[in-house]
Amino acid sequence: MRFLPFIFKHLRKNWIRSGSTACAIALCIFLFCTLQTFVASLKGFLGQGTTRLITRHNVSLVFRLPNAYEAKIAAVPGVERVAVSNYFGGMRDLSKPADAFTNFAIEADSFLAMYPEFILAEPERKAFLEDQHGCIIGRALAETFHWKVGDTIQLESNISSYRTARPLDFVISGIYQTDQVRYPGTNESVLFFHYKYLDEATGRKARVSTFRVEIAHPRQAGVISHAIDDLFENSDTQTHTETEAQYRASLGILGGNLIVLLNGIALAVMFTILLVTANTMSMAVRERHTEIAVLKTLGFSNRLVLFLILGESVALGALGAVTGLLLGRSLINVLPNVPVIGDVVRGFPKMNVPPQIGVVGLGIGLSVGLGAGLFPSLLAYRARITELLRHV
Amino acid sequence: MPELNPIPAADEAAVALDSVCKMYKRDRQRLVVLDGINLSVSEGEFLALMGPSGSGKTTLLNLIAGIDRPTSGSVVVAGTDVTALSESALAKWRSRSVGFIFQFYNLIPVLTAVENVELPLMLTPLAKKERRERALSALRMVSLADRGRHYPKQLSGGQEQRVAIARAIVTDPRVVVADEPTGDLDAKSAEEILDLMQTLNEEFRKTIVMVTHDPRAASRAHSQKYLEKGVLLKSEQ
Repeated sequence: MRFLPFIFKHLRKNWIRSGSTACAIALCIFLFCTLQTFVASLKGFLGQGTTRLITRHNVSLVFRLPNAYEAKIAAVPGVERVAVSNYFGGMRDLSKPADAFTNFAIEADSFLAMYPEFILAEPERKAFLEDQHGCIIGRALAETFHWKVGDTIQLESNISSYRTARPLDFVISGIYQTDQVRYPGTNESVLFFHYKYLDEATGRKARVSTFRVEIAHPRQAGVISHAIDDLFENSDTQTHTETEAQYRASLGILGGNLIVLLNGIALAVMFTILLVTANTMSMAVRERHTEIAVLKTLGFSNRLVLFLILGESVALGALGAVTGLLLGRSLINVLPNVPVIGDVVRGFPKMNVPPQIGVVGLGIGLSVGLGAGLFPSLLAYRARITELLRHV
Repeated sequence: MPELNPIPAADEAAVALDSVCKMYKRDRQRLVVLDGINLSVSEGEFLALMGPSGSGKTTLLNLIAGIDRPTSGSVVVAGTDVTALSESALAKWRSRSVGFIFQFYNLIPVLTAVENVELPLMLTPLAKKERRERALSALRMVSLADRGRHYPKQLSGGQEQRVAIARAIVTDPRVVVADEPTGDLDAKSAEEILDLMQTLNEEFRKTIVMVTHDPRAASRAHSQKYLEKGVLLKSEQ
């Protein structure tokens, strides 16, 4: 402990270099924590709904299924409940894409029954079910647009087949809450309204984008998926049924193995920062040949010199890690507003760096410092005083 | 006054080298730097080592200070055979028994004058307050108490060397070795440094071994020894 001021004085001496190295480590830890928090949210999100399947057109989501399929799917053994869910693409003003938010037309009764993630107060639920023009919105959405229960809004779809003569009117019947601990990644920025309203407004031409299918046991998912698809195998409109997790993963934003990609990026960044920091520490030691010689001449043992240099490097790592964690905690909520990234992150509201990821981030920062300082400190450990003094 | 205590005269030599050889291997060539050196420096003696460049003066000084090891022979300093010590024991021994003064002062640039002087005391179990008091005492000895908070770059060459001397004596070592301590100084500063070294020797009976090219500096010593091509030639009292 008595050598800590000595270590910090050295870090302060070359404050530009120390600062930039700490910033590099901070950026690494920030990226790591943010990516891992996103991955954790993603995993939680993908891990939900193990008892839910999604049936869609086997070619693309662009094509729709006949409404008549619902009864047939509901009759498949093991199926508990079926609900229609169509992405509406409604916007308040089509010329303002920045104001866009997610909205779905649903068969409310069965949909809400199979999605306990969306928590509604009973009076609001009742009001929603009883009003065909009613809609429910997430808390975050309500905060964004300063909407409250009873407000009326108009939405016009950006999907041509859902376009009507005039925008659809909605009355906000309720504001749903979420339980991010139990159901991490649940979107708080969605508007749900009645499919029946959409279907009628479009002259019964809405058809069905997806059927949400609740099954009794997750283990039956494969069998039931096949059974549903087999039902329509010889029809003009064939289906593709998969678990909700597979469906989510197959959406554009989750194309490919996003988690592996994100982890890969995090690893690459960490390795790069390790090299940068190692180079910084090597330079710092190279510049201090004489000083190391003096310390050893004064009686500082090789081991103590090693610990001093290693301590300097670890202190840099710790400084960077703490800064990165603080950045992560404060900036993660800003991410939804960042162009492009925000589009992806917005689907995962309430993201925050969990303590486990924070601890790992701190550990990585310290390890980067330790790893970067190891080689230069070993060189200092081994160097003989006379050789070091010869560099003067 | 500082806690430096005068060392009573003792029968044993403060520095005793017996048949010391130092050889370096460069590629396949063997380079003999010191050849059969026998040297005895009494307790409280002030010895000047002189000789041309490359004669082995600094190597000899490094052996006495325990920062290098001889190829053969024995080096006994302050009652300890330094050739028998392990690396860590040697470091510990250096911190207690030898003070080293470099030609280019070699102060740590990020530390203030008082922190530089305090540095060797960091290896002792002394509390922070006591370390600081001792460092300030040593600075007072070299008449730089008022510059304690100054960084090396804020001091003149002579002042830096005085701080370096304070650093060398702060642990109260029996032997002080100096490698051309006036080599980088103007005449006036050099005189001040030599006065200081003489005070250390005469008032506190520190045994001093000083390498120098300067005959005027050497004249301050009790005795001078000459090295040429690694061999001690003659001595003058």
